[in-house]
Amino acid sequence: MFSRWNWVACGFYLVLSICSPDASSGLVQSCGHIIPESPVLALGSNFTALCILNESCLDFGNIYASQIIWKIKNRLVPKEQYREINRTVSSVTFNDTSSLATPLTCNILADGQIEQNIYGITVTVGLAPEKPKNLSCIVHQKSRFTYAMTCTWNPGRHTFLDTQFRLRYRWPEQIFPDCIPKDVNNSCTIDDSQFFVNTEIWVEATNALGKAVSDPLVVDPIDIVKPLPPQNVSITSGLLPTVLQLVWENWISDAVMTLKFNIRYRIVGDTNWMEVPPEDTASPRTSFSIQGLRPYTEYVFSIRCMKEDGVGYWSDWSEEKTGITIEDQPSKGPSIWRIIDTSQSPAYWTVHLMWKALKPYEANGVILQYELTVRDKSSLSSPVKKYNVTSTNHTLQLQEGTYEVTLIARNSVGQSPPSVLLIPASNSKAPVKNLRTLPKHDKLWVGWTAPNNYVLKYVIEWCLMSSSSDCIIEWQIVPGDVQGIDLKGIKPFKCYLITVYPLYADGQGSGQSVKAYLKQDRPSKGPTVQTKKVGKAEAVLTWNHLTVEEQNGFIRNYTILYKTIDGNETVVTVDPSKTEYTLSSLTSDTLYTVRMMASTDNGSRTGPDFTFTTQKFGKGEIEAIVVPVCLAFLLIVLLGVLFCFNKRDLIKKHIWPIVPDPSKSNIAQWSPQVPAKHNISSKDQMYPEGSFTDVSVVEIEADDKKSFSEQDLKPFDLLKKEKSTSEGHSSGIGGSSCMSSPRQSVSDSDEGETTQNTSSTVQYSTVVLNGYRDQTPVQVFSRSESTQPLLDSEERSEDHAGGADSTPQRQQYFRQNGGQDETSADRPCFERTKQITHANEGDLVGFVQLQISGQSSQPLGLGMEKNTQEAAVSNVLQTCTEGQTVRPETVEENPLSVDEMPKSYLPQTVRQGGYMPQ
Amino acid sequence: MAAAESPSAALRRRDLCSRGIRLAGKMRADVVDLLDAYVEQQGLDASASVAAVEGVPLAAVERWDEQTGTQRLLENLAAYRAFRALLAQMLEEQREQLGEADAGLGRALAAVLLQVSAFAYHLEELLRLESRGIPGEEGDEEEEDGPPPPPRLSLFEQKLRGQAVLRELAQWAVRSVRDLRQLAKPSPATGAAPGLAESP
Repeated sequence: MFSRWNWVACGFYLVLSICSPDASSGLVQSCGHIIPESPVLALGSNFTALCILNESCLDFGNIYASQIIWKIKNRLVPKEQYREINRTVSSVTFNDTSSLATPLTCNILADGQIEQNIYGITVTVGLAPEKPKNLSCIVHQKSRFTYAMTCTWNPGRHTFLDTQFRLRYRWPEQIFPDCIPKDVNNSCTIDDSQFFVNTEIWVEATNALGKAVSDPLVVDPIDIVKPLPPQNVSITSGLLPTVLQLVWENWISDAVMTLKFNIRYRIVGDTNWMEVPPEDTASPRTSFSIQGLRPYTEYVFSIRCMKEDGVGYWSDWSEEKTGITIEDQPSKGPSIWRIIDTSQSPAYWTVHLMWKALKPYEANGVILQYELTVRDKSSLSSPVKKYNVTSTNHTLQLQEGTYEVTLIARNSVGQSPPSVLLIPASNSKAPVKNLRTLPKHDKLWVGWTAPNNYVLKYVIEWCLMSSSSDCIIEWQIVPGDVQGIDLKGIKPFKCYLITVYPLYADGQGSGQSVKAYLKQDRPSKGPTVQTKKVGKAEAVLTWNHLTVEEQNGFIRNYTILYKTIDGNETVVTVDPSKTEYTLSSLTSDTLYTVRMMASTDNGSRTGPDFTFTTQKFGKGEIEAIVVPVCLAFLLIVLLGVLFCFNKRDLIKKHIWPIVPDPSKSNIAQWSPQVPAKHNISSKDQMYPEGSFTDVSVVEIEADDKKSFSEQDLKPFDLLKKEKSTSEGHSSGIGGSSCMSSPRQSVSDSDEGETTQNTSSTVQYSTVVLNGYRDQTPVQVFSRSESTQPLLDSEERSEDHAGGADSTPQRQQYFRQNGGQDETSADRPCFERTKQITHANEGDLVGFVQLQISGQSSQPLGLGMEKNTQEAAVSNVLQTCTEGQTVRPETVEENPLSVDEMPKSYLPQTVRQGGYMPQ
Repeated sequence: MAAAESPSAALRRRDLCSRGIRLAGKMRADVVDLLDAYVEQQGLDASASVAAVEGVPLAAVERWDEQTGTQRLLENLAAYRAFRALLAQMLEEQREQLGEADAGLGRALAAVLLQVSAFAYHLEELLRLESRGIPGEEGDEEEEDGPPPPPRLSLFEQKLRGQAVLRELAQWAVRSVRDLRQLAKPSPATGAAPGLAESP
């Protein structure tokens, strides 16, 4: 318990002893100090510091050197660097001062716990100055009497310390004040420099770590002077047009130093300086005459000076001054050329004379006017025409011929030598050869080989080619000994047409032309390709040439690139003169994409894509298929027609079975002999024996009436009731029907009507002999007793039905027999009147045999006897004559027209083009 | 003596002579300019004839062309040493009178003073090349008895003396150029003028 309080008391005393003011020794009683105090150390050297404790602190604080710790900027120094020299002194050693920093403090660790600072120092680390090098001085002239010498040197490495440089100089027996640089460490200026005495100059560099002295420079300041340039430079024109005189003042008197000069001059607007030969101005002077100048030319002059012996420095160039030489007469005549326009008439020329204004060095002054003289060489009597022109062109109207044009330029001093242009009637002399061009930077060189004859001059014409405007001609004349010139002002990527004419003493050669580019580029666009024609395996492509503005160079070739959608691209190179190309070996019915590329020497440009599809069939293939097919079809049709024609009967038989025409049946007037007899002749004529190839014989039993069942009669009843309709049972042919039953008429009779009444009803009988087509023929006798009016005739007949009762209607029943042998009582009637008519009109191939039932006893039919046919025919004829039947003779002689068809109760009026029942 | 002169010594002498001639020429030009400025600044009459002032060496001499080289050098050295003292005195008086009011005139005086010193150095070097001892500035026989105390001059007298000093210095500059040119000539008579060769 006691010891704890003791330690606390000791610590408190230590703090008081370190920090509390001491009345006897000052404000702070320090317990120690460090040696050395605030040292300046060389970078990289070793360093040892000592911390010395005060004895008083030892007595009262129980602190010893062993408790000292060193710190660099709050960083503990390793204890390996400590060394306890005695109980009050501790040292620390640094092998390399580069590890040092500020502050370096000495601290004590009281009781191993409380760290207390004893003392601290500031450590400065740096380098000693290096020896200044490369000392050099120059004396600048500031004014007429003042010269300032400025010396510069290389101060060497950075020292990290405050280093003072001072420039020192002296004479052998006099030392001058030092020159101390301001704000810099590598130069200093001595304002008062004295000449003609060798002066020793050196630089001293000093800092805390040392001093370095440069090598001395011994120099007479007069030898390092850079004088001020001459002043008040003026230029005066002399009497000669090629001389100007410069006058100036020097800043330095000859007593100080003599000077030599440089004079330079250039034409205003020109950047290149010319210089007066130095040896001409190597002596002291204040004026100089410059010769060899161009008349009437403005020059810029400048001058500089330096010590005559060349030791020292050139002054700056003086302010530039300009002067102009006086005029002289023009040195040469203007270049003249012409353009002859013969568009109005070949015999009359419009001659555009044009000449170039003289260049300033040729004009030698202001050209006041041009004197133009035109002499007709082809006519000596023609007067010489003179013109005074102020412009540089003149247009003349001349007749075709040879003319000599002379041009003179005049200024205020005199006139130029004449320029002569011969305008010959023709330009047929030898042209230049091997005309060629070559780009040279921004100029286009044009070269040619001279013709064999002596050439006075060459005229070079060139113009920028354009697709939208005319070629504006520029031209130049060069002497005859020149075989190449550089054309200036040529634009890149533009096409120029260059023509060279040789001018002879007695005429003009024909022009040779060449196209040229100063610089080529790739075309600005590619050709637009399209198809002109597309076939199965080929396609004709066509395109337009690029305009000259689009070409940007010589089109070396066109490249066609085409491909299918999924195929490889095929490349074809085409001559640039072509505008059409045929792609071959294409795949049919395939979509192709084609594009075209135009190439110059400097690149290519591709045009837009174009697609086309090849055709499926080639040219002629369709024709080769269609034409044979058509021919074959036609042949087949033809053969079919021929076959049908040959087999027409058979076909007709199958297609149009013979349907008897009930209207032509006339049982009432049946007279087998007469018609037969009568018709034999005609029939024989028309249908000779044996031509009846299909004659059916129907045998009808007269008393078979009752054999019909009642059932068979029922349909007829229906027909009777309906009277005018036979639709349900009609075959559709004239109302006759195979379904018609003979019972109809029987039933009519049964109803108690008179025979005449019966006879008023057209009774049709149809005997179907042969089966239709392949049907088994059934011998059926059917009789139609339809009262249905038959067509118009029937209607009209009914219209007259009122009279029909009184007028016996003569129904003509007929029966046609296949031969004359069948002449029985039941011999069928054969009515020929209408039949013949039909036979005449149509293709009557057969007759229908009718077998009449027992009803033939009716008045009309009963009148018929089994007599000779002649009698029957005569009866028929009479009846027909009286009635409205047509007589056979009439029919034969005058076939009835349709309109003249006899009105009779025919089942169907036969009209031309209508249906003819047979 | 001249025959024993080494090539380097001859070159050195020629260089010193050449440099001295140019220095004397510049010094004369500067002194003339300074004299104009001084007369104007001091309000003196440039055309006024000033009588000889005590202590100012006179450039005029009889039988100049008979002098030896060493004699020329010695007379020049004595004169320029005197001028150096006179100019230093003028500069001090100038500063006392004008302070920094006319620094230009003071700088010009200082510049001339430097040139006079430089020229005296040239002369000493040439005398060394002549293997002649350089007389001390206080070695003159006249001064062995001690220099007379400088008379106290009035301000106007100081101005007149200054004008006389500058005017005579300009004369001396001309004479020195001629002397040095004479020395620069490769004549065997250099320093061998009869009766004067041994003169101190």
